[in-house]
Amino acid sequence: MTITTEIAGRSAVDAATAYQLETFLKREARLLDTERYDDWLAMLADDIHYWMPSIESRRRANNGGATHLPGRMAYFDDFMEHLQKRVARFKQPTAWAEDPPTRHTHVISNVEAYAGEAEGEYLVYSTFVNYRSRVETDNDLLIGRRTDVIRATQDGLRLARRKIVITQTLLQAKNINTFL
Amino acid sequence: MCKNEKPINFKPPRQKAALDDLDQYVNMAEGRMSRKVFWERDIYEQELEKIFARVWLFLGHVSQIPKAGDYVTTSMGEDDVLVVRQKDGAIKAFLNTCPHRGNRVCFSEVGNARGFICNYHGWSFGIDGALRGMHESGAYEASGFDKSQHGLHEVAQVDSYKGLIFGTLDPAAPPLKEYLGDFAWYLDTLLDMDGEGTEFIGGCVRSVMKCNWKFGAENFAGDVMHAGWTHDSGAKAMLGGAVPELDKCAGDSYHVNVNGHGWEFNLDKVGNSATFGDKEVRRYIHEIQPKVAERLGHTRSMMIGSISSATVFPNMSFLPGQNTFRVWQPRGPDEIELHTWTLVNKSAPEEIKERYRRGTMITFSPSGVFEMDDGENFEYSTRSNRGRVTREQDLFLGLGIGTRIEHPELPGNVFQGQINEANQRAYYQRWLDFMKAESWDELPQR
Repeated sequence: MTITTEIAGRSAVDAATAYQLETFLKREARLLDTERYDDWLAMLADDIHYWMPSIESRRRANNGGATHLPGRMAYFDDFMEHLQKRVARFKQPTAWAEDPPTRHTHVISNVEAYAGEAEGEYLVYSTFVNYRSRVETDNDLLIGRRTDVIRATQDGLRLARRKIVITQTLLQAKNINTFL
Repeated sequence: MCKNEKPINFKPPRQKAALDDLDQYVNMAEGRMSRKVFWERDIYEQELEKIFARVWLFLGHVSQIPKAGDYVTTSMGEDDVLVVRQKDGAIKAFLNTCPHRGNRVCFSEVGNARGFICNYHGWSFGIDGALRGMHESGAYEASGFDKSQHGLHEVAQVDSYKGLIFGTLDPAAPPLKEYLGDFAWYLDTLLDMDGEGTEFIGGCVRSVMKCNWKFGAENFAGDVMHAGWTHDSGAKAMLGGAVPELDKCAGDSYHVNVNGHGWEFNLDKVGNSATFGDKEVRRYIHEIQPKVAERLGHTRSMMIGSISSATVFPNMSFLPGQNTFRVWQPRGPDEIELHTWTLVNKSAPEEIKERYRRGTMITFSPSGVFEMDDGENFEYSTRSNRGRVTREQDLFLGLGIGTRIEHPELPGNVFQGQINEANQRAYYQRWLDFMKAESWDELPQR
């Protein structure tokens, strides 16, 4: 029996590459869990587009029931300069909502990797569970799917595109003081 | 649809006894108030009746529903509402609930429809709210059922002011223009810079905060003071430096309020716009200011992007020049839904609109570098009051008592100095007015 490993004409990457990509995503999650934001920024390509649209509940008859479209309200629709500013806030001693620190766990799963559109790029799907805790009882759970473009460079793998789609239309949290 | 000319008869009637205490809870002459108004369930239930079932509430922007059948869903207090553009261009709003068994009739938050059909028994309503038919309609007809008596419950009055749609569930409420009063003069600074109007960028960000709904509203009505402290980290990230000490230039800054609506501002033209750290947005404000001055006068032209914030009583707020636009929707005494949009001038270049969209997102949204620090403040200002003894400790709102001035140009009640709590006091005074007044006639003009 053969198992189909192609989508839309793209081939799944070989096992060694898949392992590298998965390790890249796990390392990223660990850096975010431990608030190593500068190291996290170093994993991103300079032309990063980091997009987390706001999710809308629409009837299937309207826009095919699409929950999100480009150019509309979003949680993140960032280029490198925006992500650097967000990191700059995290690092301020007066970032009151980060002190005492928020306790983070990012769980990454369902990693699926294919050849990308450009040479040396990979299309990588994954899912995440993000659990954040603050004070005694503030516990926020976010679950969603990601579509990434990860690029192989001379300096190693770099995240070049990320789309983050969560399940909630009404965010069940007062903020998103993390990256996903 | 049903005619809603009769006032809502609350059953059981409002509890007068509980309300007698409210004077002790809010003493704005001394600038102190009880924490109970942020915590007690009984008081919250009274707010839903005395405030949210009566006053004009923000329902949406006309740009969200340009064509017949376009709709958005929202809420008035905790009452779910459907806002629909009619075939003749008018806007109507209905309780989003089937009059048969009460199920929600529209489950999407935005879209276009020829009508709304309840999923339970197939009751079908036109966009005008009229009951058109239903599954097994023959059985109803055989029993002499009168469809004209069973439409969606229509919101008593809907009107708009320069693009902003408001509604009130109270047929006795005065017209919207009267409700806004002299505050409309200030709203024009936001809504009528060039006669071409405004629009919302597509989409809405909705989030939950476990706080009392009044904390957000009063914060935007007057609390610029928190910006320099709460948002120090955001300011340093976005601007590379701390928020300036605003009290040092109090001569050019004000608190103004009209019947509980509040606007705090200075006349620095670009202070709020600058929070994006985007020089193109600052340039846009500088470019349009002279034309706004021709239309609205010099003073208001200097408010279009200045360090400022505003609330229309009770729960619609915005930041001029920064253009986050929001409603604090009550969900119990200790929870809200925060709905936020980005408002832009229709005439602004597409590139500028895009910069506003990104700018509001990175500053004032759940992921924004400013808003992240607001949420915890609002939540713990609320949650601390679970303590029985804590709840008995009054809060202080006395900053700036005695700063009222007469101003030759600015309408309403004018107070010198932006670092002030005059608007917060006016906001809670208005809250008390509504909570005590049995009718609109009993409400004083403030």
